[in-house]
Amino acid sequence: MRITRREFTKGTAAAAGAAAFGLASPAIAQSGPIRIGWLAALTGASSAPAIGFDRGVKFATDTINAAGGIKGRKIEIITRDTQGDPTKAVNATQEMISQLKVDAVWGPTNSGESLAITPIMARAKMPNVHPCVIDSLIDPAKFPNAFRIAPSNTQWDDAVRSYTLKILKAKKVAVIGDTTGYGVAALNASVAGLKKDGAEVVYQANIDATQPDMTPDMLRAKNAGAEAIVVWSTSTGMDARLFNTRAHMGWDVAFVGHPSMSSGEIGALIEKPTNWEKVYAVGYRSCSYDAGGKLPPHSEEFVAKLKGKIELKDTLLWWVAGGYDAVTLVAKAFQEGAGSHEDIIKYWNGVKNYPGYFGEYTFSPTEHNGYPGKDVVMSDASTAKDGTFRLAPGYA
Amino acid sequence: MLASILASGLAVGAVYALIGVTYNTMFSTSRVMSFTAGQLGMLGGVFGSLFLVRLGFPVIPALIATLACCAVVGVVTEILAVRPVLKSLDQHLYVLSTLALALMLQQLTAIEWSTEPQPFPKIFGIGSGVFDEKFWLPIVACAATLIGLEFLYRRTLIGHAFVAIAEDNFAARALGLPERNLRMASYALAAAIGGLAGFAGGQLLLAFVANGPLLNFYGFVPVALGGLGNNRGAVVGGFALGLFQQAANFLVGGIFSSVAVFVMFIIVLLAAPQGLFGSSSARRV
Repeated sequence: MRITRREFTKGTAAAAGAAAFGLASPAIAQSGPIRIGWLAALTGASSAPAIGFDRGVKFATDTINAAGGIKGRKIEIITRDTQGDPTKAVNATQEMISQLKVDAVWGPTNSGESLAITPIMARAKMPNVHPCVIDSLIDPAKFPNAFRIAPSNTQWDDAVRSYTLKILKAKKVAVIGDTTGYGVAALNASVAGLKKDGAEVVYQANIDATQPDMTPDMLRAKNAGAEAIVVWSTSTGMDARLFNTRAHMGWDVAFVGHPSMSSGEIGALIEKPTNWEKVYAVGYRSCSYDAGGKLPPHSEEFVAKLKGKIELKDTLLWWVAGGYDAVTLVAKAFQEGAGSHEDIIKYWNGVKNYPGYFGEYTFSPTEHNGYPGKDVVMSDASTAKDGTFRLAPGYA
Repeated sequence: MLASILASGLAVGAVYALIGVTYNTMFSTSRVMSFTAGQLGMLGGVFGSLFLVRLGFPVIPALIATLACCAVVGVVTEILAVRPVLKSLDQHLYVLSTLALALMLQQLTAIEWSTEPQPFPKIFGIGSGVFDEKFWLPIVACAATLIGLEFLYRRTLIGHAFVAIAEDNFAARALGLPERNLRMASYALAAAIGGLAGFAGGQLLLAFVANGPLLNFYGFVPVALGGLGNNRGAVVGGFALGLFQQAANFLVGGIFSSVAVFVMFIIVLLAAPQGLFGSSSARRV
């Protein structure tokens, strides 16, 4: 087709006019499937969470689509495996924004990737829901499009501190972190919080996770009179060495801290099963069973739905539930009439006590941390059962 | 406390010493510092755990299989990362090529094995407390390796050939020694020693991919302390490093112990740049 100069000028003027009147802002197709981008580290070093989340995502999608979709529109999940690599996450995000033109994005599932993509999503005003813990990822002023459906690091820290001081009633506390950026930052925040609440931090140290012998640090903590040890590390090897060293020392001090202390891999690294007792790791009320082995009723309902369809033995229930909740939160926005990215964000800003299976989420225009802090609890670390844990002793 | 420092320090020191010997053995026939040495230590633990725990091999076959696998990695190192850059040793391209291969080995292990530490079982189940097997096994392995190497270099024909290549590469070739094959054999031998370090230290260090960079780094210190190419110096340097590091762990703790170790390292090198047991070489002017 031949384009004349007059037609070209007209077309350019029309495009400029449309842009001036805001018609060029991202519009969502009102028919066809609802497209959700899913940034998942399905392979590579830290793939376990995303694999668990993915089961929930697929289960939610299949359930909604089997029921006829949302107002007749099916849910379509567009997954990109980021392999835990921020560069790949950035590329996938650009693709989802520019080419795939998805309606919303779920993920990524680790903070390193999320730090890289959050500003990009914000520039594109792409509705984004994620479960990453670093506090700075949520800032309604800078990132009005980003919403968190898992606890922040501060909420973890609050739960650990509360359990240590109020339930274990420890007054003298040792705090140990690894030497990663996360370990150092988490230790400093934890120490500040404990001191603010009146505890005496008798020992604090950042330890290289590959250090083969933990005796020096444990001995110093014991000599300083520590009544509980708070641990901030993602290294299961370091956790197991700490537990084994405690046993060798004949010390029965409690460990409280990072969820990695309840990782199944620790079972193979400890010398005796009893070495894993009196270890309390961050967990969630919705995924914690009571002394009778019962989950909260809402969680029991979810597990019953999953039975025979989703495997829970090799994953965590909160990952599956979180993936499920993320998809249903997007779907609910469309159910409530969302027709653009702005509408989805507006809907999420008004969500109050949304009954997800992982948690009951509440957002507002000034608070995008949706997970209720009161539901972050301590789990008895060695009691894993189908992706859930026994509630640590002392909770009502 | 003293018993803990001695037990743990000597055990870790023995592992560092063996990695130092790995560096030296590779260096002797190629004049190349191969930065795959630490990764071979890591692979010794990983292969050991693979054969002992996952595949259920008995101890001796597991050890043989581990050393054989590491030896293959050693030969691959020689072919891929060392041989192509030998002609331009003065440009030190081997730093890049061996580091690149080390990185590839580490990434491959992380993907195929695990990024988390995996268990390494007790082998003999002898001893407890500071006499636990995890403490004395690396020391025994180190002693056995040193005696074996002394025997090899002094009493065997192939050992004499290794020494000849190490002393004067050109003269050895002029005498008809198969330099390339001997170099490959020395890389296989060095890799097996690195693998033995990881296997013997497996209970202490676990089968953990992050041990690679750690051993690369701390295994190099005994080489520098003891003098390049000097195995006895590397062993003394390794034990000294292990003991100093563990004492620093007890006295100053945490990340400060690493600072203490490298302060000591720098001071020693300032005082004796050729290493404690190295001899300063004459340079023709």
